[in-house]
Amino acid sequence: MKKKGTEQGHIKKRSQFQETWKRLSKNRLAMVGLAILAILVITAIFADLIAPYPYDEQDYMATLQSPSWEHLMGTDEYGRDIFSRVVYGSRTSLYVGFISLMGGALIGCIFGAIAGFFGGKTDNIIMRTCDVLHGIPQIVLAIAIASTIGPGITSALIAVAVSSVPNFARVVRAATMTVRDQEYVEASQSLGGNNTHIIVRHIFPNILAPIIVQATLGIGKSILLCASLSFLGLGVQPPMPEWGSMLSNARTFMRDYSYMVISPGIAIMLTVLALNLFGDGLRDALDPKLKK
Amino acid sequence: METKNKLLEVKDLSIHYFTDEGVVRAVNNIDFELARGETMGLVGETGAGKTTTARGIMGLVPNPPGRVVSGEILFEGKDLLNASKLQMRLHRGKDFSMIFQDPMTSLNPILTVGDQIAEVIRLHEKLSHKDANRKAAEILEMVGIPAERMSEYPHQFSGGMKQRVVIAIALACSPKLIIADEPTTALDVTIQAQVLELMRDLQEKLGTAMLLITHDLGVVADTCNKVAIMYAGQIVEMGSLENVYDNTKHPYTKGLFGSLPSLSIKSKRLVPIDGLMPDPVDLPSGCPFHPRCPDCMESCKSRMPVKTEVSPGHYVRCLRCE
Amino acid sequence: MSNTLIEVQNLKKYFKTNHGMLHAVDDVSFTIEQGQTLGVVGESGCGKSTLGRVIIKLLEATDGKVLFHGEDITARPSSLDDRRRMQMIFQDPFSSLNPRMSVSQIIAEPLQIHHVCKSKEDLDQRIRNLMDTVGLAERFTNAYPHELDGGRRQRIGIARALALEPEFIVCDEPVSALDVSIQAQILNLMQDLQEERKFTYMFITHDMSVVKHISNSIIVMYLGNMVEKSDADELFEHTLHPYSKALLSAIPEPNIHKERRRTILRGEITSPIDPEPGCRFAARCAYATEECSCRTPELEEVLPKHYVACHHVRAINGLK
Repeated sequence: MKKKGTEQGHIKKRSQFQETWKRLSKNRLAMVGLAILAILVITAIFADLIAPYPYDEQDYMATLQSPSWEHLMGTDEYGRDIFSRVVYGSRTSLYVGFISLMGGALIGCIFGAIAGFFGGKTDNIIMRTCDVLHGIPQIVLAIAIASTIGPGITSALIAVAVSSVPNFARVVRAATMTVRDQEYVEASQSLGGNNTHIIVRHIFPNILAPIIVQATLGIGKSILLCASLSFLGLGVQPPMPEWGSMLSNARTFMRDYSYMVISPGIAIMLTVLALNLFGDGLRDALDPKLKK
Repeated sequence: METKNKLLEVKDLSIHYFTDEGVVRAVNNIDFELARGETMGLVGETGAGKTTTARGIMGLVPNPPGRVVSGEILFEGKDLLNASKLQMRLHRGKDFSMIFQDPMTSLNPILTVGDQIAEVIRLHEKLSHKDANRKAAEILEMVGIPAERMSEYPHQFSGGMKQRVVIAIALACSPKLIIADEPTTALDVTIQAQVLELMRDLQEKLGTAMLLITHDLGVVADTCNKVAIMYAGQIVEMGSLENVYDNTKHPYTKGLFGSLPSLSIKSKRLVPIDGLMPDPVDLPSGCPFHPRCPDCMESCKSRMPVKTEVSPGHYVRCLRCE
Repeated sequence: MSNTLIEVQNLKKYFKTNHGMLHAVDDVSFTIEQGQTLGVVGESGCGKSTLGRVIIKLLEATDGKVLFHGEDITARPSSLDDRRRMQMIFQDPFSSLNPRMSVSQIIAEPLQIHHVCKSKEDLDQRIRNLMDTVGLAERFTNAYPHELDGGRRQRIGIARALALEPEFIVCDEPVSALDVSIQAQILNLMQDLQEERKFTYMFITHDMSVVKHISNSIIVMYLGNMVEKSDADELFEHTLHPYSKALLSAIPEPNIHKERRRTILRGEITSPIDPEPGCRFAARCAYATEECSCRTPELEEVLPKHYVACHHVRAINGLK
């Protein structure tokens, strides 16, 4: 009740984005996550400058070397510098993670919004399809896709995107249903707004928060799924470096040369951790009920 | 009022909330007292500090960010602000209890109403399950709900019936004081009339004192003996109903009456108060009402008016009355 | 009459629920003259909001007709032009404004939907004029609803409804969520606008004193039925239906001298789902007889231009 007083009277010029940012910046864990993400993105962009060696340069004089000043994370069985491969690998991993997620998010949001807005039969058909999709194990789905269009980065992308559709559809549908019953939607109808106008102008901006959160949390999952596909040999093909496929290769040498597993493993873990920390923080920051 | 009859005394109470945006001065130096069996209406608009006052008395100011920064609250002569948490817990429910505005959210949806009433009784009285249930049934009958409905859940009751249950819970241990925070605002008028009548009857029967928080001057006229008008955390006018309704002194109180469309007189236009409630983080200097006041003088802008007794028992905080 | 703007004939709106048909609006007829205000009073669940929404076609009528300028608008599909001429002001100034849109965006929305403005300057000018009309200072142009108090938000809602210069505005409890001092400001604003621009209002509220203040004629609704209809002054002078009487006497008045003769209703509103024939108020009515619970009372003209639906209205009020 009394908090309301602070919004009355004079007007603070501060957009919703600025307020979210202000709240987010107070959450230390989320900021740590954001910092790690920033480093990752910079690494991916400037991989050419950061990596001391090309990712595919083989040096048979220096295979399976332990970490040293020359090779920060050692070398693999072909004498390739693992540090350089991890650095280049961030490109592939982030690329696959983001693109597949965007694809999944776009399709999921459209279907979720349609299901939530129109309800009834449309809702039933879309959501039951999603249930079926959700029921197929992601790996099996990916294997099926990879075996039809052949293994490679595209099939990994498609597989990951398709498997993230149901999650988005569900989140967006629930959010849409809440917003749909708000009076401002009715107000827009009374002004003559048609369905497209209402979905684009009113519903979408108000369900952005759960979508963003689902996305940040989803990227981590997508990167993991992509890594496991590559691990199985269905995703990114050599010599392209990718954290999952690096793990897969290193598996044979794990007992004697554990550093080969540790480096890409830590890279995956850090990325997923950072995204989760950031996603959690964002969810709290976007929730106006937690507003102080 | 004789001293021995005093049930509740609030002296110079100030409650502030310390938030990121600044200090919210929700309640500022309010004084009032309440005798046994008396009903006082606490009237004000959104953000006037009514609910914070009630929470202060109940010892339920959320801390942080809220804190009682000054004043005393005496209940039967005992200082509540210095009471321990345990003592306060024993007081709540037994000596004073609260009725909340929204009957939909103040009941626990997964417990039967009988259990919810019996629970309060067993918290304060050493009774067996059976005795507590029997007493709960009696109380339900008292608020006009057949005892057979004890084993029903809140969602099976209508809004008015739920508010009766809430009243039953508040009355369960026959407290000496009930603080009712907008008890009928969420109800339809015909249901409101029923609930107000019930509250009046019970009060007469049990001799409970009541602090009725409301924004509705009509409800106060109907149920209270005296009334205090709050504005920006201060009591700007206080007195018996006759004092305040017939001999209105404070311009804010006058403004409130002018804003109400009347059933008896056909007026062409209402006379609203200009402007808006001030921001409690940034209260105006001098009298907090001066930016909206039609009778504002130069001195109002700098000097805070003090509580002045204009006639016996009728207090006003306005420079024009000093 | 040539001046009739809205004519509602035997309007019905039923909703299908899991428990049966909900009769939200059942056989309601009335007319509203141009430039006048019709007050619709009743408690929650009496169908008053549904009635307003059916008239401006936010909901489709189950049966009956709504004539606007003598043309049946229920029969034809909703057109942008109908939308432009009939607008609505909503009850809740908190949920009726999109929290992600600024004040100017909200007011611009109807103008953009209807492509009213040719240029950006024209649009800005119109928004400024509208804000000025409803008394919103220009510094709020870029503010968001959550930064404003209830009264200002309701002014935004009014500006949005005015943007298309409608002829008819349904006001659904526009002041019930506001503090009294703000409520008076908004009521005055609405009256001034009506005088200036000859709007026709349908004013939906549960508050008898507000409806008395603002209306020319009044209908009282109970569970989807119209129980009383007359001029505002006449209704308050001769309140005839037992429900209207109870409603009136239940209002606590801020007057300590007026003697109170309360008729407190027993019981609560019964369910509007698949109602039995008979008077729907019978269960709570002190005068109810056998006849009331088996035969539905028709609306009849008891006094000149004063219609009541009650079998015993003459006996109760000592009329012939």
